[in-house]
Amino acid sequence: MQSTASLTISNLWIERGERDLCQGLSFSVQSGEIVRILGDNGAGKSSLLKTIAGVFSPLEGKISYVGEDVTFDRSLLQKDAIYLGHSVGVKSLLTVVENLRWYCPDVSLGVLHEVLELLEITNHVDVLVKNLSAGQARRVALARLWLSNKTLWLLDEPFASLDVRGVTLLEQRIQQHVLSGGLVVLTTHHDLLTLSSRDVVLLP
Amino acid sequence: MSWAWFHKLGSPKWFFSWSKSWALPLFCVGCVCLFVGLVWGLAFAPADYQQGNSFRIIYIHVPVAMLAQSCYLALGVAGFVFLVWQMKMAPVFIKSMAPVGAVMALIALVSGAIWGKPTWGTWWVWDARLTSVLVLFLLYMGIIALQNSLDDLVLVNKAAAVISVLGLINLPIIKYSVVLLETLHQGPTFTLTKKPEMPPEMWLPLLFSVIGLYCFVAGLVLWRMQTEILKREHRSNWVKQEVMEHGL
Amino acid sequence: MTYSSFIRSEFLVLWRRKQDIFNALLFFIIVVALFPIGINSSAEFLAPAAAGIVWCAVMLAILMAVEGMFKEDYWDGSLEQWIVSGLSLPLLILLKVIVQWLVVVAPLLVMMPLFSEMLYLPSLSFWVLIMTLLLGSPSLFFIGAVGAALTMSIKQGAVLVMLLILPFYLPVIIFSTLAVKAAEAGLPYSGLLAMLLAMSLLSLVISPLMTAIAVKASVN
Repeated sequence: MQSTASLTISNLWIERGERDLCQGLSFSVQSGEIVRILGDNGAGKSSLLKTIAGVFSPLEGKISYVGEDVTFDRSLLQKDAIYLGHSVGVKSLLTVVENLRWYCPDVSLGVLHEVLELLEITNHVDVLVKNLSAGQARRVALARLWLSNKTLWLLDEPFASLDVRGVTLLEQRIQQHVLSGGLVVLTTHHDLLTLSSRDVVLLP
Repeated sequence: MSWAWFHKLGSPKWFFSWSKSWALPLFCVGCVCLFVGLVWGLAFAPADYQQGNSFRIIYIHVPVAMLAQSCYLALGVAGFVFLVWQMKMAPVFIKSMAPVGAVMALIALVSGAIWGKPTWGTWWVWDARLTSVLVLFLLYMGIIALQNSLDDLVLVNKAAAVISVLGLINLPIIKYSVVLLETLHQGPTFTLTKKPEMPPEMWLPLLFSVIGLYCFVAGLVLWRMQTEILKREHRSNWVKQEVMEHGL
Repeated sequence: MTYSSFIRSEFLVLWRRKQDIFNALLFFIIVVALFPIGINSSAEFLAPAAAGIVWCAVMLAILMAVEGMFKEDYWDGSLEQWIVSGLSLPLLILLKVIVQWLVVVAPLLVMMPLFSEMLYLPSLSFWVLIMTLLLGSPSLFFIGAVGAALTMSIKQGAVLVMLLILPFYLPVIIFSTLAVKAAEAGLPYSGLLAMLLAMSLLSLVISPLMTAIAVKASVN
């Protein structure tokens, strides 16, 4: 993990289908910061996160990461980032462990079990994900936040379908990540309970 | 050579106003040439000494078959241009051109069959040229079907471009393979009669109808592109202004 | 995500979905059986037609197997994760297609001796048929992958993929059946096998790039 990283968005324009979203948006995130993207439904919160992660390209504007321009080649940012979207990318035909091994092949089995224990899915380690509930499946996806060592977290509605206990765990983890110099950009409809964030509001 | 015109193709507004001044003249020139070519060819050109009057369908068949192939070439080039330079006009062109090309391929098939009956004695022969036009028709229909089944405009554009480029790469291979199929098979029972050297009275009307059809299709496609541009850019100010001033 | 963990999970998913592979193979068997039942079951008809019958069935079965290869990845969000993984998307797609090819073609080849007997294929040309399958089928998978990627966002896209992709398969079936016929007639066939190999290599280069474009456009 890099101790001093920064993400700078300048004058970003995104176009989705028929609509222009976030016209001329600029903000930056430094190490140790949480930025929360606010906006109405359809204001382009998810699109913004996807654009930063490199799922699609902006119409105009510049994205730089650790001082490098990554607008056209996002691989520098992608090697150091985790993106979790609405569909979390957990394969329903793989077991919990197999799914996590897919994303984080280098993690030892011991660490894996510790994290699963923390997230209270130890009983289902060898169960296919399709047999888990939505909240449990999301916990499997979120386990990546404990297992991998990336600086930039891009989280789209990470608290969705989590119970109170899950929300507390996740907030603790985010706090811990930020204290050790990480960057977090997230969207959420929940109020953050223990975290303090800087808000970026997307106007329609 | 200046590349300004190439970059301008990226702007729907520029293209719209440019095509407005070209569509109608092209279309009219096409109609006139086509009319001259067809009337001359069908009514006044001398009859073929082998095929008699049935050969006259050549004045429809040949231009249409040429167009069917040229249209696909144009689709493939447009697809390539879109994938490489993201030119906004390329998908509009593909969208407008594909049905025209499909109709051309269909007419070529039907007129070929009508021509084949009196000359070969059968509607259809698995000849290399016939087979490749049939495949061409299927490729066109594939592009149209794909465009109609997808919802998202960005995806429609990319998908049509990808499949057009793929078709352009594959078409020579398909042609080569069907020619091979024919030469290794036993020869077809019916062969196209060796065309005699045509006298000018016969090929001049053909030339007219070929040029006429090219201009006709160019004008038609420009018109279709204008409609498509208006549909796609309906939110932009210049379209509103355009419609206010000139109506639809 | 690394390339090796990607391959491992792809194999695992295919293993859990073995019923789909079985279905494609059963489909192959039924299509082959249609010809003797529907047209003529005598050796005089079947022997010269055997290679063509096998290839028609193989084409349809492969298209059935490949048609939905990106659907699940699309709906569960894995495709997004491929794109943001920082790995090369065309390379990931190439690996996925190769995994699919291995899993589908290996059982097809194993079944081939049985079918060559059932269709009275002259033993002389059996190995040529196997060669054409080995050299020609990769291009079927690569071209089919493009079709699968273009239609993954449509819930029922199988017929569309057939319409879109089958014309592209024609050269492969022509070269293959010609090679088998040439072998039966005692003519040289290595040129036709070379054409098949060339088509597979060409599609190996072009298809992952095109598929990557289609994947990125579909994930919206």
